[in-house]
Amino acid sequence: METIELLILILKFVLFPGALFCIAYGWFLEWFDRKLYARFQNRIGPLLTGPKGVLQPFADFIKLLAKEDITPAGADKFGFTVTPLLTLVVSLFTLLFIPIASLSGILSLSGDLLLVLFISTVFGLLIMFAGYFSGNRFSIVGTERTGLQFVAYEIPFALSVISVALATRSLEIVNIVTYQVNTLKLPLIVIVPVAFIIYLISSLAKLEKIPFDVPEAETEIVAGWQVEYSGKKLAFFRLATDLKMVFVSGLAVALFLGGPYGPSIPGLEPVFYTIWFIIKTLVVMFILSNLRSLFARYRIDQVVRGFWKYLIPFAVLQILAVQLLIFLGVI
Amino acid sequence: MLEEEVEEKRVFKIPVGPQHPALKEFENFTFTVDGEKVIDVDFRIGYTHRGIEKLAESKTYIQNLYLCERICGICSGAHQGCYAQTVEELAGITAPPRGVYIRTLIWELERIHSHLLWLGVAAHEIGFDTLFMLIWRDREIVMDLLEMISGNRVNYAMNTIGGVRRDISDELKHKILKGLDILEERTKYYKEVCMKEQTILARAANVGILSKEKTLKLNAVGPTARASGVDVDIRRDDPYGAYDEVPFEVIVYDTCDVLARILVRVDETIQSILMSRWILENLPSGEIRTKFTRKIAENEVLGRVEAPRGELLYYIKSNGTDKPERLKVRTPTLANLLPVAEMLKGGYIADIPIVLAGIDPCFACMDRALFIDENSEKTWVWDKEQLRIYSIKWYKEHGKEVVRERWKQ
Repeated sequence: METIELLILILKFVLFPGALFCIAYGWFLEWFDRKLYARFQNRIGPLLTGPKGVLQPFADFIKLLAKEDITPAGADKFGFTVTPLLTLVVSLFTLLFIPIASLSGILSLSGDLLLVLFISTVFGLLIMFAGYFSGNRFSIVGTERTGLQFVAYEIPFALSVISVALATRSLEIVNIVTYQVNTLKLPLIVIVPVAFIIYLISSLAKLEKIPFDVPEAETEIVAGWQVEYSGKKLAFFRLATDLKMVFVSGLAVALFLGGPYGPSIPGLEPVFYTIWFIIKTLVVMFILSNLRSLFARYRIDQVVRGFWKYLIPFAVLQILAVQLLIFLGVI
Repeated sequence: MLEEEVEEKRVFKIPVGPQHPALKEFENFTFTVDGEKVIDVDFRIGYTHRGIEKLAESKTYIQNLYLCERICGICSGAHQGCYAQTVEELAGITAPPRGVYIRTLIWELERIHSHLLWLGVAAHEIGFDTLFMLIWRDREIVMDLLEMISGNRVNYAMNTIGGVRRDISDELKHKILKGLDILEERTKYYKEVCMKEQTILARAANVGILSKEKTLKLNAVGPTARASGVDVDIRRDDPYGAYDEVPFEVIVYDTCDVLARILVRVDETIQSILMSRWILENLPSGEIRTKFTRKIAENEVLGRVEAPRGELLYYIKSNGTDKPERLKVRTPTLANLLPVAEMLKGGYIADIPIVLAGIDPCFACMDRALFIDENSEKTWVWDKEQLRIYSIKWYKEHGKEVVRERWKQ
């Protein structure tokens, strides 16, 4: 019996809902994002690889793997090689905590919300290292900007998550999800709508998407921190970005949209939960793609000023509002 | 001493170009930056030198029409029209009114297409790709109109010496008018977007300031000058073509920033649409061209037009044969290059692309290598072959040092 249980656990980690599912879903989200973005701009987007071009991100990945991998003479060789791998591993690791096929993630510990927040902070640090190690002038500027942007978005991001933790009086993702399912019987977005908006805006900055794609601003500093990366390393970075999209939208679903819970047939919960998870994350992605097609890129000083001037005060107000609701006994 | 060293290390140089996503053509700008601030700008021009002026001396006046057109891919009509007009004056012939009107129509349609192209590029430079895509979609309308008139999308080959090569039928006239209606509606919408969208305002307002005094001192031309409150327009100041008859307004803004440059171009596009409509409705009847004798007696003429980017100068000298003795072109980008260096100083790295794009640079137009020896104040012009030989020789001597230095950086 024990060997079978172990086998199931391994399958969970590797196949579903672990690494392979997340990677495949990451590619699907990238395709969804690209297609939507293209449609908003009256373009067609990926078309030829697979039905409606759905395999395009996968094809891009394979193509990049086959490309020449150059390490520049001025780069720190060890750091330059390790950072892409580390970024990929870290983003896969965070996904283990996201509830996909059941109300809890594959891994679930008490206080795992803090752990997830901490690891997601490491994303920003790794990007800074990536730029710093490549020793290119454009990368250095990109690194500076990543650092500055990091200072801007990380605090409102954490504050929005904290207001959720306060409302559910829990630091465990599984408890937050079950609170929404069993106690509140409503997704938390009803209680903390402002926190949800702040979460979305800061995650746009976390994912480096327009209007906050300052660190890799193509027309200004070529590709910023990733300018020297090519071949396999670039492929890993891009895959990590896709996984980050799954993570950001998955965490949004878990914290604000009631997790993967939804109407289902008893006994078939994993299947239905996965479908609900996919639907809910696609809704989040739809909002994110929509936002990124609406704006021009901000300048880095405008990003930092905007986040500190508007988002942080609103996040604090949201926390106070949650406190008031708890005091009044509403939640 | 130590402090100075630290100071020096904080400042470093960023090369923009010869290849850079913000530049659509090859040109090199070296920025000295301190963090995100630009302290100094240095530029090197000449990467797209093609030896056109020298080549023009070995071709006949008719052949040169098509050579001049290829100086620039975007304002090809302005180049060819200016050349044709200057040669007409040189030879002492005048084009018939219908020919002049059609020529003016091509100039104005080209201005629409050039300004819409620029608007799209500007949106792309500030990371607003949605606006970029939509504007370029609508630019296709005017490209199609130009193709309907001339048979070509880019190098129209409409002008000839003494008039134009193709006539506009009544059926075509209606199609053009219909296309202009859609363009007018879309352009007005884009103007509204540019004036209201907060992210555009945040990136364009008070960016790349060029004061009126500096504009006059550094001799900026075209929309760049008009955005800094300088009221110049060759079409009104020195009318050519049909511009003394066509009613239009000269658009001047005085906020001196990138936003003003955007708004000047959007408003000029609307003006051009109105002008094109007026020209079509008042098209005189008659011949479209007059005869031209191949040889021109000794003479020299300086002709100028208002190209989409500003004042375009052609100087042609004839020597009694069917080939020009000398052809000199001064394109608007060259005039706007010193002002752009002035705009960039003191700004942010993030503003470099939009400010650079703000003058609507066209480097291929500009590069026809003029060498100036600072010590003896001697100037000379090289053609492509001489340059090639020189470059091979130079690299044989200095090649290794250059490569070594590049690696050091």
